Amino acid sequence: MKVIIHDLGPEYEALIEERCGKAVAADGKYAPCQGCFGCWTKHPAECFMKDSLQQVCRVMGQADEIVIVTRNLYGGYSSAVKNVLDRSIGTSTPFSTYRGGQMHHTLRYGKHDLWKVVVYGDISDAEKDTFRYTAERNALNDGYERSEVVFLNDLTELEAAL
Amino acid sequence: MKTVFINCSPKERFCASAYFLFLQRLFTGGTKVYEKLRTPADQAGILEQLRDAQAVVFGLPMYVDGVPSHVLRFMEEMEVFCRENKLCLNVYCIANNGFIEGKQNEPLMQVFENFCSRSGLTWGGGVGIGGGVMLNVTRILFIVDIGLLALNTVLSIVNTGDFFPKAAWIGFAENAALLLYFNLGVLFYLAVMGRLISKGEYFGKRYTRILIPSFVFILFADIFFIITSVLEGGIFKGWLARKE
Ligand SMILES: Cc1cc2nc3c(=O)[nH]c(=O)nc-3n(C[C@H](O)[C@H](O)[C@H](O)COP(=O)(O)O)c2cc1C
Repeated sequence: MKVIIHDLGPEYEALIEERCGKAVAADGKYAPCQGCFGCWTKHPAECFMKDSLQQVCRVMGQADEIVIVTRNLYGGYSSAVKNVLDRSIGTSTPFSTYRGGQMHHTLRYGKHDLWKVVVYGDISDAEKDTFRYTAERNALNDGYERSEVVFLNDLTELEAAL
Repeated sequence: MKTVFINCSPKERFCASAYFLFLQRLFTGGTKVYEKLRTPADQAGILEQLRDAQAVVFGLPMYVDGVPSHVLRFMEEMEVFCRENKLCLNVYCIANNGFIEGKQNEPLMQVFENFCSRSGLTWGGGVGIGGGVMLNVTRILFIVDIGLLALNTVLSIVNTGDFFPKAAWIGFAENAALLLYFNLGVLFYLAVMGRLISKGEYFGKRYTRILIPSFVFILFADIFFIITSVLEGGIFKGWLARKE
């Protein structure tokens, strides 16, 4: 299944829905992670906070391909998108292993295929480098075979990138 | 010289960031202000503190290879605030992560560097610390050790009238030396960074970790999560299962 996480307005909803199995709207109407690890140790793959992200691990876990559409913020995800990612660590288990020569967690849902990031908004060369590096690190951390980052000049190019 | 230390951990208690910022304050001179950033309500007070400061030190956990979302929100506000008020601050950061390799904080450090460029601030560098949770446990163990030593001393005075129970002191010294050893990398870099913060100079990016072999670390981490999952009940609720 292809999952799209995006911080775009409602005007893009129809297009996004058409292009994926499941869409997660990063609309900011949810709380940030409190760092309690309850989604590992208390109620696996579920958050104690009862908002739209309570079950988000279970959606992201099913993804073969994840596409993240985000505004650039300092070479990383917008805070609304990052909030979704922070709330999704239940896609892995609390157990540790080595991946890519470094420590990471074992995967609750096994290996995934593609971690793709589509970035819009003003961006510098240094920020582009940071983004590519971050996506690579995320793919390794979350068990994706490969990563890809696309930088849009503006949102008219979105449809072709999805 | 005023430095603002911001603890960005969302946790109320027992956060590793508080420990590293405590150490960093010991090694830094001048006026020191300590603030907590947990919710958006904390933002305004912190920004006010920045007005007459020369340096700011972010102490934060790494979340999913990057800066936690509530900290990103603050950084955007801070960018606007610093531009509007034409602030020139030196920005440093102490990032800690759960995995043992401190180097995993590199993308987070780059985000701070990019943030400084956008905000017209001076990037001073930072320390990325691997095994933050476990280093924080060493601090707690150290406090427990002091408690035990005090208890043994009281017992010894009551039972034998001896004010200096030698065996208890030797045991304490051994434990303290071991805990100190685990923290040596952190202490070294924070001491060097503290000196440079006080002088308003550039430190650069440095990475360190708890000083134990990684396979031992993984073993302890797994045991830690098994015990907490038993205590909190997750182990009986499809602990490692795929959840649809
Ligand atoms: C949502 C979330 C995501 C995390 N992601 C990572 C990660 O990608 N890599 C890592 O090494 N540690 C990760 N950690 C572990 C934290 O960095 C670690 O627990 C840290 O010590 C917390 O610091 P604090 O006690 O100051 O909040 C994550 C923790 C949470 C809660």
